[in-house]
Amino acid sequence: MFFHIVLERNMQLHPRHFGRDLRDKLVAKLMKDVEGTCSGRHGFVVAITGIESVGKGLIRDGTGFVTFPVKYQCVVFRPFKGEISEAVVTMVNKMGFFAEAGPVQIFVSNHLIPDDMEFQSGDIPNYTTSDGSVKIQKDSEVRLKIIGTRVDATEIFCIGTIKDDFLGVISDPGATS
Amino acid sequence: MSVEPFNRLVKLAARAFYDDITTKGDNQPKTGRSDNRGIAVVVLDALTRRQWVREEDLAKDLKLHSKQLRRTLRFFEEEKLVTRDHRKETAKGAKVYSAAVAATGDGLHTGRDGDDKIKLHTHSYCCLDYSQIYDVVRYRLHRMKKKLKDELENKNTVQEYVCPNCGKRYNALDALRLVSPEDEYFHCESCNGELVAESDKLATQENGDGDDNARRRRRDKLKDMLQKMEEQLKPLMDQLGRVKDLAVPEFGSLQAWEVRANAAARAANGDSGSTDPSKSSQGLGFGGTPMPFVGETKVEVAFSGIEEKGEAIKLESGNSPMKILPPWLIKQGMNLTKEQRGEVKQEAKMEGTSSTVDVSDEKKLTGEKDDVKNLQDEYVKAYYAALLVKQRDQEEAAKREQELSNRNISDSVYDTSSERQVGMKSKREDVDEGVDDVEWEEATPAGNTGESSKVHDLNVQADALEDDEDDIDWEEG
Repeated sequence: MFFHIVLERNMQLHPRHFGRDLRDKLVAKLMKDVEGTCSGRHGFVVAITGIESVGKGLIRDGTGFVTFPVKYQCVVFRPFKGEISEAVVTMVNKMGFFAEAGPVQIFVSNHLIPDDMEFQSGDIPNYTTSDGSVKIQKDSEVRLKIIGTRVDATEIFCIGTIKDDFLGVISDPGATS
Repeated sequence: MSVEPFNRLVKLAARAFYDDITTKGDNQPKTGRSDNRGIAVVVLDALTRRQWVREEDLAKDLKLHSKQLRRTLRFFEEEKLVTRDHRKETAKGAKVYSAAVAATGDGLHTGRDGDDKIKLHTHSYCCLDYSQIYDVVRYRLHRMKKKLKDELENKNTVQEYVCPNCGKRYNALDALRLVSPEDEYFHCESCNGELVAESDKLATQENGDGDDNARRRRRDKLKDMLQKMEEQLKPLMDQLGRVKDLAVPEFGSLQAWEVRANAAARAANGDSGSTDPSKSSQGLGFGGTPMPFVGETKVEVAFSGIEEKGEAIKLESGNSPMKILPPWLIKQGMNLTKEQRGEVKQEAKMEGTSSTVDVSDEKKLTGEKDDVKNLQDEYVKAYYAALLVKQRDQEEAAKREQELSNRNISDSVYDTSSERQVGMKSKREDVDEGVDDVEWEEATPAGNTGESSKVHDLNVQADALEDDEDDIDWEEG
């Protein structure tokens, strides 16, 4: 699920940036530092949408670096248990398949794949129904339900299922190309 | 339609789900004396026999401490079975309620003493919320079933993996770390052995260790539980199904209910005498809230009147009591019941209601209907006469024919005639049905001629007659 929230961060700025465009430099550095990171509490920071406020800088003794407390608005993505999500399959193996929903890795074990789909090894490993109408392979798009998340300080990993109504492949790359 | 199936639903649900609810806090020691399990069932049962009830009165009736009752009721409020209403009222305001109770006439409420001593107290009232109860019970059953089924099918469980070499356990959340670049299996982090999914292990090793057995036992237990639940809750589910298409009894909010009940009482007493409580209430009890229900009292009369008698409530309760029953609607409904019941009985009943509901339109309509009825009776008589004549003719004709062709077989004549009689009897029933149809939906069943909906048009009868006779000819020919 995506959220638009306000976060705060203390930015350290090198003295060489002190000039007319100090503020721009500060924002550019913030974006570089923050976007794409993951915090266990808020999830993945997708994008910074604006700066709320920049506090008073504090010059550090010795180094000359200045610390600015910056409040910024950003879009974060955090997966939840029970959430329905769409993901791209990245790897298929005997144990199940891995998929990615943006920055989040999701593993679907073969027990959580419908019973009528069987693993086919070979050049392109895939899960196929007995009549061959549905096929899950690399780059397939699947809709899945997240049934468990592991949230570490710096990463989030999910396990999902496609063994439920309306879950499974939503578009087959083989069919379109 | 009536409140009875819903009461049964409440009672079943109470026994199924609220059987062993105690309202005591967990910190209190559960001695034999303080064990109040089953109180929930008693309270719910008591509520099915009442509509809106003051909690003090209920406590008195049940010989419970009011605190205890309140705790139970609060629990039910949280469970969404009961609606409650609290209001500050004076002695006079309380009278409104008493009058309303008297009007419902269930005889359970004895007149309370010491009404006048009450100065300005907050009183709580409670009432079953049938429509919500229906939804709540259904939802509860659904959740129970879903949970058990999910567990049974291992739907939402996290897969576990075991290393057969070192016995280290992983689950699916570790998958990213376990996947190896060489092959398509998961590998143990410490010994690089190939991991085995745990349920596979169960399948291969039929008589595995205790852990596996526990797993299987658990599965059996779940299956057992699901089955038990199905059969033990079957009465409840049946009742839910029965209640599904019935209109839910609504008592409305406390104020609306009071106004209605008082109005009913007033009407029952012939518009005299008992008007005082509700009048006094308008100033005090309601605090000047507008009452949109005043205008409709006339119509509610028929509704609560019937309910009071304890008769099975027929069509009136099918519509929610807030609505006016327009005359045409009543008429249609009546005819519907007529279909189900005998005609004669229906007639009596119709007259009864027309006398209680003094709407002029209604009378006109019933008068019209009587006309229709007379015509139909006449029609039936004429039809039977015609039928008899025709039959006799045919019998004679048949006899003549038989005599001409063969005088010996007299038995066969008897047979055919008797057969015909049987046929005729069934025919008659058909005709009856036809008649019912005519009065039911004012459009003529035989009205292929495009006549307007005037039933007392003689053409229709003629048509019907002809049609029926045609049928007979066809059957015998």
